[in-house]
Amino acid sequence: MTGELVQILEGNTFVVSDRAGDIEASRTDPTGLFSFDTRFLSRWVLTINGERLNALSTDDLQYFQTRFFLVPGTGTVYVDAKLSVIRLREVGAGFSETLRILNHEGEPVDLTVRIEAASDFADLFEVKDALKKKGTYANRVEDGALILGYARDTYKRATRVSSSKRAEVDDKGLTFRVRIDAHDEWSTDLHVTAIDATWGGPIGEEEDVRAGHTGKSMTRGLDKWIRRAPRLECSWGPLQETYQRSLVDLAALRFSTRSMPGHSLPAAGLPWFMTMFGRDSILTSLQSLPFTPELAATTLRALGERQGTRLDDFRDEDPGRILHEMRYGEMTAFEERPHSPYYGNADATPLYVVLMDEYERWTGDTKLVRELEYEARAALNWIDEYADLQGNGYIAYKRRNEKTGLGNQCWKDSWDSISFRDGTLPGFPRATCELQGYAYDAKMRGARLARLVWHDEGFADELEKSAADLKRRFNRDFWVERGSYFAVALDPDGRQVDTLTSNIGHLLWSGIVDRSKAKAVVGHLMGKRLYSGWGVRTMAEGEARYNPIGYHVGTVWPFDNSFIAWGLRRYGFKEEAAKIAAGILDAAQYFDGRLPEAFGGYPREMTRYPVQYPTACSPQAWSTGAPLLLLRTMLGLEPLGDHLIVDPALPAGFGHLELLDIPGRWRRIDAFGRGRVQTARSSSGRWELGASG
Amino acid sequence: MPAASATRGKRKADDPTHEFFDGLAARGHEPLLENASGSIRFDLTGGKNVDHWVVKLKKGAVAVSQKDGKADATVSSDRAFFDRLIQGRENAMAATLRGVLNVKGDLGLVLTFQRIFPGPPGSQRRARTAARRSR
Repeated sequence: MTGELVQILEGNTFVVSDRAGDIEASRTDPTGLFSFDTRFLSRWVLTINGERLNALSTDDLQYFQTRFFLVPGTGTVYVDAKLSVIRLREVGAGFSETLRILNHEGEPVDLTVRIEAASDFADLFEVKDALKKKGTYANRVEDGALILGYARDTYKRATRVSSSKRAEVDDKGLTFRVRIDAHDEWSTDLHVTAIDATWGGPIGEEEDVRAGHTGKSMTRGLDKWIRRAPRLECSWGPLQETYQRSLVDLAALRFSTRSMPGHSLPAAGLPWFMTMFGRDSILTSLQSLPFTPELAATTLRALGERQGTRLDDFRDEDPGRILHEMRYGEMTAFEERPHSPYYGNADATPLYVVLMDEYERWTGDTKLVRELEYEARAALNWIDEYADLQGNGYIAYKRRNEKTGLGNQCWKDSWDSISFRDGTLPGFPRATCELQGYAYDAKMRGARLARLVWHDEGFADELEKSAADLKRRFNRDFWVERGSYFAVALDPDGRQVDTLTSNIGHLLWSGIVDRSKAKAVVGHLMGKRLYSGWGVRTMAEGEARYNPIGYHVGTVWPFDNSFIAWGLRRYGFKEEAAKIAAGILDAAQYFDGRLPEAFGGYPREMTRYPVQYPTACSPQAWSTGAPLLLLRTMLGLEPLGDHLIVDPALPAGFGHLELLDIPGRWRRIDAFGRGRVQTARSSSGRWELGASG
Repeated sequence: MPAASATRGKRKADDPTHEFFDGLAARGHEPLLENASGSIRFDLTGGKNVDHWVVKLKKGAVAVSQKDGKADATVSSDRAFFDRLIQGRENAMAATLRGVLNVKGDLGLVLTFQRIFPGPPGSQRRARTAARRSR
């Protein structure tokens, strides 16, 4: 989002406006009040005596609250205002706005205050793809409130605009005729409510009210959230800022479903991805497990509830498959998009089992694992029964929904992300390498749960045998002898798609890499072609499709790096893990502690600062989770029975680090570490940890 | 108040909804519903008549009765629509968003229950391509 736009949100309701608080959206312009993937306000413009207002300052007080200081008139160099206007906006079920007008004159003023409101009720997908609406609009005035309405068959949505002070209401807005005495002020509260008009009742109200997400309680909720997370002390100041930012952003990204009111899981990103995503919700839950384990519990429950149970080509649904993305807008309602939910991903299903096991290792919550036994078995069954599209025992993907389904069903989901070294794109089905790692890990972890919780020794043996077989075959079939690394995929003919990519780091995390091959893999990850100085690039320099600002073909993704660091630790490469962490945490400083989704893959010594990839989504959940997983990795936190192992390997620049009150099956434990890993530091003028040493 | 049944006098073979609930009752135990406990009432409107079905779920045990009464969740729609839903020709989530299926009360219960609805007729798994498993 550009600096000119201000966004505030709560749950999956959010407002994007200009710096004065006004909204003037065009069909394709991503501004407005959105709730459940639908735009409920596309116009919201304040005028005083017919004049627009000019922003003096805009403060984001909380993630759900913004204050705009305004004066009448625009476009003048000098502001000599006789009036001040303050809009305090807070998002809940819709939003509320307190409008205050202060008269600085020694005499009374008469003002015409006007709020213009309109809505196009666009589906988020329509905003993205500039599509036309198929229903009809009808506005009306009812009990002193303006109702903006939209209907298409039985699908009905409405926006109610009302005020605490009496207004003249017409079908385009509210007008107040106001007299303000000398040095006095006038104010009114405006309420905008998003309504599911088919059945009546505000959208989102039920869960917002039950979860206590209203007004001041939201501030208290945020305080409590931060208090419950472990406390961090570090002599390297920037880490404190990044850690606080991560916790607050994670709170903002919490998403509640109507089936589980009062519980939340991480949505994928703000503002366009404020919904459940299988992959993003699982990976973010894994990253944040040592800090906020309740997110993982809700993710497991909510995704389990919606697990695929049938074959449905339109939704790419199979029995046992974990969903990819859930949406609530008009196009989903009319099946013009398959997101009710859409299942087209090949990684969330094995990762679901990985999360379940990791969750149990940290929390000891065997009750939940027992409760979700059916879902876990169905997920494990999906790997062998439904995902083996090449018929060779590997997970592969090929969409059945050719029209609106996803082509690349792995995390690198852009069209050109998977290619041969010469740039040729392989056909489908594609078996990308990291999917095999996740499958291996899921089977190993599933075996542990089968023994420990489900008491099914036979199933555990079977899973371990299958995992060992997968590992043996994988290390043979994916290993590129010439370069000593793993191919990014196998094509439909079983040929190696031989581009060098960051995916090999995920293989370390999953444990599928033969010990004898680990050193060569680490050499590539930390080598010049993949490692930029800030982090590991998605694709290595020198490959035909490499582009330092190409979405999945050369940029550095903080989330990707956090899992690579975890993988490095798993194979004992502590110092390399610390170096990855140092680079990413240095980069975080340049974004005030809020890591973007991705930044440019330019060499660090060339740009000196991380070049942000132009993306509309920030904060992004798994970027928010990256510093948390890096902290876990650097401190070497690993549950062992009812104990937590601490084995720190920190960059020297950290000095002293304490993480206090880490929650888990041990109740609360503190971890301490001192920076000892030497990293080469440049003189950038900032207090940097440095990286390539 | 006993509701007039729109299905009275109809042969079951012509009545997918009746068949669905009978089949459900005959199953007795359904592993897909093991995490659901509670009751769902289905209010299905056909012309001026409303049919009521109550499904009681307890750890996978399923009991079905045809009556009115309080339930933890209610699902209401038109009978013809419900026929299509339980044949896999309609999707419960999309229909709820569209406003043709109304769900009130315990949504989690209904979300779990819809798992037993079949997929669209004609949907099938992809054939494996290479059929050459490496060993």
